Amino acid sequence: MDNNNLLFHKSVVYGLSGLLFIPILATLIYSFSSSWGATMLPDGFTFKWYTQLLTDPRFLEAFGRSLFICISSLILAMVLVLPMIFVVFYYYPALDKVMNILILLPFAVPPVVSSVGLLQLYADSSVQLVGTPWILIGTYFTIALPFMYRAISNSFTSINLRDLVDAAHLLGASTTKAYLLIILPNLKKGLLASTFLSFSFLLGEFVFANILVGTRYETLQIYLYNMRQTSGHFTSALVMTYFAFIFVCTWLATRFSKGNE
Amino acid sequence: MSYVKVSQLAKRFGDVTVFEEIDFTIEKGEFITLLGPSGCGKSTLLRSLAGLNQVDAGDIWVDQENITHTAPQLREIGMVFQSYALFPNMTVLDNVAFGLKMKGINKAEARAEAKRMIDLVELDGKEQFYPRELSGGQRQRVALARALVVKPRILLLDEPLSALDAKIRKSLRQQILKIQRELNLTTVFVTHDQEEAMLLSDRIFLMNQGAIVQQGKPEDIYTKPANEFVASFMGHYNLIEAETANQWFKLDSQQKVAIRPESIYIKEAGRQYGDHISVAKQGTVLSHQLLGNVIRYSIEVEKQALTVDLLNRSSERLMAAGSTLELLFNLNEIQPVRA
Repeated sequence: MDNNNLLFHKSVVYGLSGLLFIPILATLIYSFSSSWGATMLPDGFTFKWYTQLLTDPRFLEAFGRSLFICISSLILAMVLVLPMIFVVFYYYPALDKVMNILILLPFAVPPVVSSVGLLQLYADSSVQLVGTPWILIGTYFTIALPFMYRAISNSFTSINLRDLVDAAHLLGASTTKAYLLIILPNLKKGLLASTFLSFSFLLGEFVFANILVGTRYETLQIYLYNMRQTSGHFTSALVMTYFAFIFVCTWLATRFSKGNE
Repeated sequence: MSYVKVSQLAKRFGDVTVFEEIDFTIEKGEFITLLGPSGCGKSTLLRSLAGLNQVDAGDIWVDQENITHTAPQLREIGMVFQSYALFPNMTVLDNVAFGLKMKGINKAEARAEAKRMIDLVELDGKEQFYPRELSGGQRQRVALARALVVKPRILLLDEPLSALDAKIRKSLRQQILKIQRELNLTTVFVTHDQEEAMLLSDRIFLMNQGAIVQQGKPEDIYTKPANEFVASFMGHYNLIEAETANQWFKLDSQQKVAIRPESIYIKEAGRQYGDHISVAKQGTVLSHQLLGNVIRYSIEVEKQALTVDLLNRSSERLMAAGSTLELLFNLNEIQPVRA
């Protein structure tokens, strides 16, 4: 009875995940095949597409730009969010409720709507922002905010913030030292996990990148979009490279969120 | 002048007065307990001494120095928290050495000093453990060592034993007392447990609703309660209405009188009682509780319920509910109390 049940559960789970893996697997095989047209199986296997992709300077530049934008927005988010959450939790705990609503705003407004809004807002601005990476960094910062705030505020509630800071004060530490030596190290876990999570999310973001910047600053997503007319094998290789990268990021995120117990 | 002097201290949160008109002095090396029910303001008062709360009025003097508005970092006051408040990212050794590090003492010296403190609280061998790997009692001892290592002028303990189980609590309070005596530490201990307060303190400051209602030696507070609140908080005093008491004991009291459960005797045939133990009253046992070494009877005498404690000498003496008996009162221990 128990065994039968287990078998049933297992077959459902594996069957379903198998089904979901088919497109990825197909893309993978497609990216490795020399040509795969009228036959059941590919004609042959080759690394040609990957070599072509990884030696394409346009790809490498786009990848570099994407990394630059994501990492800058995450650094900006971290530098602003960490002290802010500390202030909220230590001095104005009542504000936590307000923050929880505020940080949902980037998700409450559909990206298409907010990107058009941003476009209108900054189109006439004396400083040229639209079409530059800077507007994207600002926008991505707001997208990263909910991930970061959630994860870090969870870390904050799991430590006894007030008593820890009080204890540090009584032992002669200033608030800054208490924050740097005691609070920050205890947020490491939540911080790393949320950073990797937002990173993989931002790397794949298309709507804002396309509308606000587009081809004027070609990022990975835009590059993929522009390449859609070329060989399917080539774009498959591109997608697989992207997948692999995201997979590594996600794996690191889960590792860190489990790490240090 | 006393080592610690607090005068007219007051603290408000908005419209709510947490405490006011707090006056007391503490001598060097004294063990003081702030005792009171939860919400009486004792923890806030303690935090104000540490400088973790600003006060709205009054002064705090320590060793001839007015520290009312001194930052907590400069007060040289150590504190142990109910939640331990150990730094989770540091080992036991680093936790204890933290205060020395903040003082700028060099690493080797700080480590040696921290090690000495860890030995004092009997945690040698645990230096490289993280707080999460220790039991509650061990964590609190680390917290104690961490507070002591910087040689504070006053040690504050905010219900340090409340989160621990009974056995650990007993051994740890003995250890705290031993260390306090050894280092001649001026100590302020906060608790809501009157037994703990009686055991540890040189003097008790009993607080209720933001005021110190009585201060004195444990035995004085226990035997001479200043008012009804003290009488009901310390022990299980019987409070008898003035009218009944005047009639029973031939008194002329305007106030209720208090008598402790152990100062009422259940009359035994053939036993001689002193002259001050008299006034026989018929009573009926309502119920009894077996507390272990003591049997606590609830006895009704002329519609007045009385609590009477008896040593549990032999089980044959256990009287069932409904039995009648005769009670004697120790007249020396009957005292009027203010409302």
